[in-house]
Amino acid sequence: MTMLRGFLVLVLFFILGESLRVLLALPVSGGVLGMVVITFTLMVRGSVSDDLASASQGLISVLVLLIMPGVVGVFFTADQFSGQWLAVAAALLVGTFLSVLTTLVLMKLVTVRGEQHRE
Amino acid sequence: MSELFSRLGALADTLAATPILAIGLTLGAFFAGNWLFTRIGRPLWLPPVLLSACLLSGVIAVLALDYQAYQQGARWLTVLLGPATVALGIPLYQQMHHIRAMWRPIVVTLPIAATLAAVYALVIAWALGATPEVLASLAPKSVTAPIAIGITEQLGGSVPLMMGGLLITGVVATLFVDLLARLVPVKDERILGFALGLNGHAIGTARAFEISHTAGAFASLGMGLTGVFTAMILPLVFHL
Repeated sequence: MTMLRGFLVLVLFFILGESLRVLLALPVSGGVLGMVVITFTLMVRGSVSDDLASASQGLISVLVLLIMPGVVGVFFTADQFSGQWLAVAAALLVGTFLSVLTTLVLMKLVTVRGEQHRE
Repeated sequence: MSELFSRLGALADTLAATPILAIGLTLGAFFAGNWLFTRIGRPLWLPPVLLSACLLSGVIAVLALDYQAYQQGARWLTVLLGPATVALGIPLYQQMHHIRAMWRPIVVTLPIAATLAAVYALVIAWALGATPEVLASLAPKSVTAPIAIGITEQLGGSVPLMMGGLLITGVVATLFVDLLARLVPVKDERILGFALGLNGHAIGTARAFEISHTAGAFASLGMGLTGVFTAMILPLVFHL
C-alpha cells in the first residue's frame, strides 16, 4: 500500500511534467521536467515521505528492466545502419570514448583545483 | 496429432495477442541475465543489461515473434520510464548536500562535456562520409531517450537509427567509464556518477546506482542536465 501511495505521487508529478511540456511547448521530456519539479518541491518541503522514498527506490532498482525492450531494438533495427555502419560505429565508439575521457579529466581537474583553492 | 498442432498454433496466437507474453519474456530475461552475470563473475565489459537484452533478442528470434508486436506488449513496462525518471528526483534531493559541494565542477564541466559529446560524434561521422540524416540521428546520442526523440525529429533524423545509437552509446559509455576510471585515474564516486549520467543517459545511470547511492544521484543530475542543455543548444549548433 505505502509503495503504491508513493507511486501515485510519482505519476502525478510525471503528469504535471507532461502538462508543462505541452502547455509551454518545451523541448524537454515530461519525465525530466517532473524530476526537476519534484526535486524543488522536496527542497522547499525539506523532507521526503517514506512512501515516496520506497516507491522511488523500487522503480530505480528496476530501471534496467524498463530500458531492456528498447535495447533489444538495436538487434532488430541494425540493418538501418547498413552502408554507413563504419561512420556510425566509429562515431559511437570513438566519440563516446573521447567524451567520457573529456568528462572525467575535466571534472577531476576542476574538483582538485577547487579543493586546493580552499586549503 | 495434427489437431494438437493446430491448437498449439492457436495457443501461440492467443498469448501473442496480449501484452502478458512480452512482459513475461522481458522479466524472465531480466532475471536470467542478472543470474548469468553473477555466475560468470560480474565482468565489467558485459553489463547485465546487455546480457539480458541478448537473451531476450535470442528468444524473440527463435520463437519467430513479431518485433513490433513485442514492442507493443512491452509498452506496459516502458510506460513506467516516465514515473521512473521522476523518481530520480528523490535521490537527487537526498544527496543535495553533495551536489552543493560540487556545484563549481558541475557548472564548468557540463556545458563543455555535453557539447563535445555531440560534436565528437558528428565530426567523426561527417569525416567518414555520413549523410545529413545519419548525422541528425547521431547528434543526441548521449541524451535520455524521451528528450532525444524530440531533438532528432527537430533536426530531421531517423528515430530508430537514433535509438540504436543511443543504446550502443549507453552501453559503451558504461564500459569506458569503468575502464578510464582506472587509467586516468578517478576514484571519486561523484565524478564517476556524473560521467555515467552525462555520457550514458539512463543506461549509465542504472550502472551508477550499482556503484552507490551517491554515484546514482550524480548520474541522475548529469543525465537531466545534459538532456535539458542539449535540447536547447543542439538545434542551434547543428544548423551552423
